[in-house]
Amino acid sequence: MEQGTIERDIHVNASPEVVFEVVSQPEHMREWWPDDARFESVAGAPGELVWRDADTGETKTVALAVVEVDPPKRFSFRWCFTEPDRSGQALFVTFDLVPSGAGTLIRMTETGFRELGWEVAALEEQYRDHENGWDHYMPRLGEYVARLVATP
Amino acid sequence: MSAVVDDELWSAIGDPIRRTMIDLLLADGPGTATSLSRRLPVTRQAVSKHLAVLDRVGLIHAEPAGRERHYQVDEAQLARAVAQLSTVGATWDARLRRIKRIAETIERHRTNTQGG
Repeated sequence: MEQGTIERDIHVNASPEVVFEVVSQPEHMREWWPDDARFESVAGAPGELVWRDADTGETKTVALAVVEVDPPKRFSFRWCFTEPDRSGQALFVTFDLVPSGAGTLIRMTETGFRELGWEVAALEEQYRDHENGWDHYMPRLGEYVARLVATP
Repeated sequence: MSAVVDDELWSAIGDPIRRTMIDLLLADGPGTATSLSRRLPVTRQAVSKHLAVLDRVGLIHAEPAGRERHYQVDEAQLARAVAQLSTVGATWDARLRRIKRIAETIERHRTNTQGG
């Protein structure tokens, strides 16, 4: 099988359990990726990622489907389907979490670019501004985490 | 359409054997199907097919040399492919850095709470 693939590794000074929550729960995902993420973290569950244009208020929704939920080791999903009913070709994203010292190695792979071509690259480009603006959101994070751990 | 070319370009460099072939041609200079097959775990025939794919998208160019053809990397086309791959890769780098920051903030907070 030939597919365009992106692979990235990053070491995180947090346990696999904490990292798993951050990559697989929609309330966390919307802090590191889209403006809103709606899905149940259950294999086979359909979901949506939503981006909002801050100036126009317009939203862009991209379908997602959860593929595998195996805490605290693996979370995978498909997105960018070519058909509106979540069929056809799609990008396939997998997070593999490996204990490493006192922390966790995250190995992210995204495959399917060969089938989708370069439309995705153009799509990603649109979201650049959103991502570059992340520092703007960071001050809110402390408050967010405090709420999180205060919840039993 | 350039989009079609780009898709084929991605496909051409998406294969690990072909990426290794490009690496070998960059490191050792021009090579033939025979010279490459000696350094790869695939047959000369398979190498020839991969070379044809790379040639079609312009990543390598061939020149006749006796009974064989000498292939070398088109560095401009390779740079273009790498730049496109980097665009998508860079967005994941940014996301993963955020995942790291969020997870480490939560971890520190939990440790402090437990330790306090």
